[in-house]
Amino acid sequence: MKKKVMVLLLTAAMVVSAIGCGSKAADTTAPAAEAPAADAAEAPAADDAAADTAAAGGDNTLTVWCWDPAFNIYAMQEAEKVYQKTNPDFKLNIVETPWEDIQTKLTTAASSGDLSSMPDIMLMQDNAFQKNVISFPDAFTDLTASGIDYSQFGASKVAYSVVDGKNYGVPFDNGAVIACYRTDVLEEAGFTAADFTDITWSDYIAKGKEVLAKTGKPLLSCQAGESDVIMMMLQSAGSSLFDAEGNPSMVDNAVLKEVMQTYAELVQSGVLIEVNDWDQYVGSITNSTVAGTINGCWIMASIQTAADQSGKWAITDMPKLDKASGATNYSNNGGSSWAVTSNCKNTDLAFDFLAKTFAGSVEFYETILPSSGALATYLPAADSTVYAEPQEFFGGEPVFAQITEFAGKIPTNNTGVYYYEARDAVAVAITNVVAGADIDAELKTAEDTVNFAMGK
Amino acid sequence: MIKIRSACRYLFLIIASLISVFPLIWMAISATNTSVDVVAGRMIPGTYLVQNFKNLLASQDVAGAMINSFKYSVTLTILSLIVCSLAGYGFEIFHDRGKDTVMSILLLAMMVPFASTMIPLFQMFSKAQLLNTTMGFILPTISTPFLIMLFRQSARSFPHDIIEAARIDGLSEVGIFFRMFFPTMRSTYAAAMTITFMNAWNSYLWPKVIMQDNASITMPMLVANLKEGYVTDYGMLMLAVLMCTIPTIIIFFLLQKSFAEGITGAVK
Repeated sequence: MKKKVMVLLLTAAMVVSAIGCGSKAADTTAPAAEAPAADAAEAPAADDAAADTAAAGGDNTLTVWCWDPAFNIYAMQEAEKVYQKTNPDFKLNIVETPWEDIQTKLTTAASSGDLSSMPDIMLMQDNAFQKNVISFPDAFTDLTASGIDYSQFGASKVAYSVVDGKNYGVPFDNGAVIACYRTDVLEEAGFTAADFTDITWSDYIAKGKEVLAKTGKPLLSCQAGESDVIMMMLQSAGSSLFDAEGNPSMVDNAVLKEVMQTYAELVQSGVLIEVNDWDQYVGSITNSTVAGTINGCWIMASIQTAADQSGKWAITDMPKLDKASGATNYSNNGGSSWAVTSNCKNTDLAFDFLAKTFAGSVEFYETILPSSGALATYLPAADSTVYAEPQEFFGGEPVFAQITEFAGKIPTNNTGVYYYEARDAVAVAITNVVAGADIDAELKTAEDTVNFAMGK
Repeated sequence: MIKIRSACRYLFLIIASLISVFPLIWMAISATNTSVDVVAGRMIPGTYLVQNFKNLLASQDVAGAMINSFKYSVTLTILSLIVCSLAGYGFEIFHDRGKDTVMSILLLAMMVPFASTMIPLFQMFSKAQLLNTTMGFILPTISTPFLIMLFRQSARSFPHDIIEAARIDGLSEVGIFFRMFFPTMRSTYAAAMTITFMNAWNSYLWPKVIMQDNASITMPMLVANLKEGYVTDYGMLMLAVLMCTIPTIIIFFLLQKSFAEGITGAVK
């Protein structure tokens, strides 16, 4: 009996391995022999691999990871064309990758210590830039001595990608905050957009109450449980959730306290309505539920989807805090920068490409602006004639030049490694404060939460 | 009294099914509307379907992603069924204490979340040059403890007397598996096929990590690409989601009957 079992076992093992081998062999030969479609699909992969190794050997191809075909990918394609004028053999291999996936791939590759799958250049959210450089220092190339002239960019924008005094990013996408108003609604209440320019938050609330009383429309909407508006207010006064050493500073942060009070007042007065998610937020703007919004200038793209509201919008700067000493009317929300990875074998080519396009060509920014609305943080672009063209949708004002000018006046923000954790903690705090909780107690809880996340 | 009770039951079932079907209906309706209409909550089918389709084709390689998804999912399903059914059969028919221990270890492995094994797996696959390949997609999930368990459970109800009889009649062990076990267990295979195909079709994290170029993207990756960006075209997005859902719906409806049987036990 025992012998029989043994024989059976061996047979089973053989069958398993035989079938395993058979199917594997079939799988490798099938594409070539019988499935031309599959073969064709695999061919580009082989090409890419060849291109990658060629790049390592000093060829003229760079691989780029970024997202959004209408914006970042389009900008890269145009940059490729601009650079090809002086370097005809130059080629870009752009791989469309959503931001969350870039983060996942970077984390996986850097944690496994195998960076060979990284591209040459990748796009990185500004808010996550310092976190990634500090967490994975081996994955990035220092750009300080790359020949890129950082004085041509807004200082606050450059600061997002600086770690220990070294530059790791080339600024691109503009996140300068703008305040947008529906002029037709304001007119109904007896105001113009000029009444909302260079004002303070207390003016804003007073005028907002009037608009609400006369037209029934709040001035502002935002997502409940998100801290975007808080962070914009905070940065507008040059304050941050962390001190210079990277420790959380929330409890004795007078500016943050003023921001929380202002926000609570906005909600309680009805000037700001909170909605549940991003889609509702965009809906509240395009469906004329609200008379305006305050956000990064990229929100213009969403506003413009409501084509019937053309000419009814005006853009100006955001309100500033009343008491804070460094208060300004300028801030930032979102935006991204290009990073060169340490896997880039041909760094000279990557540096030269970036220096001659994103960090050196007004012509390039002029090309991408009209069809994508991709606004530069490259300051010389603000003087270009394309930027100065009046925009029909926004009441015939040269809004692009205006926004690029705003971008140069934004106070710097210190993000650090635990920026997202701190933002979330503040979002929880503000939700409770709006519901009536004590500000000091909530800030204490928020700071404890961040300290806990930091392992302190 | 009975009438009232069954009326209540029907009412409850109608409401429950409406709630569960609503997202699907809304997805289909939204695919025919413009983005602005979708955000405004329009519930009537529109006339924008063709335009959404054109926009989708213009911005993404839909055909390529479809072919890739089918290629990966079908290969994985076939190989996985062969490997797991053989394993499940072996565990039950050639049963002894040692194999029970191995089976318990396998079941323990079910509790390890994929995210925790991803980094070492990536390291191995990168070294083995399996990035961007069908094999790279398939290998980590070619054998899953759940499927082995499913086949082992149904092999338990497979009568041992028949096996003995077949052996006496001179049928080889391979013959017993393929000519007797396989046809009897058709509904278990159908259930396993539905589960494996759906998992393979919908898998996102692993393919996202190892598929590094545009030519090897799958349908779920394509849908993710559409949501990224400053402006989301919701009509187009819904159309892509609809197209991504249809294959799994077809598979499920085709195998629905066998699926229910296979889960509850194949041999009657």
